[in-house]
Amino acid sequence: MAVCVAVIAKENYPLYIRSVPTENELKFHYTVHTSLDVVDEKISAMGKALVDQRELYLGLLYPTEDYKVYGYVTNSKVKFVMVVDSSNTALRDNEIRSMFRKLHNSYTDIMCNPFYNPGDRIHSRAFDNMVNSMMMQVC
Amino acid sequence: MSRPPGRKQDSQKISRELFVLTYGALVAQLCKDYEKDEDVNTCLDRMGYAIGIRLIDDFLARSSVKRCRSYSETADMIAQVAFKMYLGVTPSVSCSSAAGNEFSLILDKNPLVDFVEELPAERASLCYCNLLCGVIRGALEMVHLAAEVTFLQDRLKGDAVTEIGITFLRKAEDRKHRRNK
Repeated sequence: MAVCVAVIAKENYPLYIRSVPTENELKFHYTVHTSLDVVDEKISAMGKALVDQRELYLGLLYPTEDYKVYGYVTNSKVKFVMVVDSSNTALRDNEIRSMFRKLHNSYTDIMCNPFYNPGDRIHSRAFDNMVNSMMMQVC
Repeated sequence: MSRPPGRKQDSQKISRELFVLTYGALVAQLCKDYEKDEDVNTCLDRMGYAIGIRLIDDFLARSSVKRCRSYSETADMIAQVAFKMYLGVTPSVSCSSAAGNEFSLILDKNPLVDFVEELPAERASLCYCNLLCGVIRGALEMVHLAAEVTFLQDRLKGDAVTEIGITFLRKAEDRKHRRNK
């Protein structure tokens, strides 16, 4: 149900960004880029709080008229940003959390690949398939 | 310092993920050090050989198996006892020559490639698990069986299964004949 999924590195450059091809992709890239500010705000607000599952999931970053943007940050400051269509009947929080958990699991699988250098762009078929499965639920 | 046979299995294990990640880091570093795939393969084989000549004693001490009477027994031993003991998988053995000295071990699951999705494009002829070939070759040499061990099929290169081919070179009986003369 996501229309755009992005993985952003610690230094705030994109490692992976993929959106539903029917829409203007540049618009999504811009939305994700602006959402990074909100992510940084939320991270600094948490301060030295204990990092548990709830703190990893940032929740709704900001809503626009058509889309809602959700964020998730890992312990290594890698951010996952997901843009979801507002017209979809409101996705429950749990579903968003589980989607982020799947993303996080796939991301750790990629990190374990010995040929992947951290900081490179992500070119993994398994990761693509997983993101496709999240996006293709849109009719 | 030899260990008594039938010693209780060491109850401390290390994490399998640590082992797989270590092996992956080793291969990745070799890829950075050598430009050609053949060099990396040779290096892995040599390392495996060094491991194999030492590992065979540990294997014989821990498993206390009898002497193998034939090549097919040896191949079965490698697949069912050694692989099970060290990697936790049991490949299936098939004999692929009429002379009875070529065998292949077919691995459905290879724990060493758990995290590797596919080989990078510029490393298409890399034998990722060539270390295993060296280990088998070294171990067999220490029990006076010369063999050539290579990968016949590799899942990372697109084949359906991973297949290791073992070709025994000299017949063990020849050595005995020479001694009797």
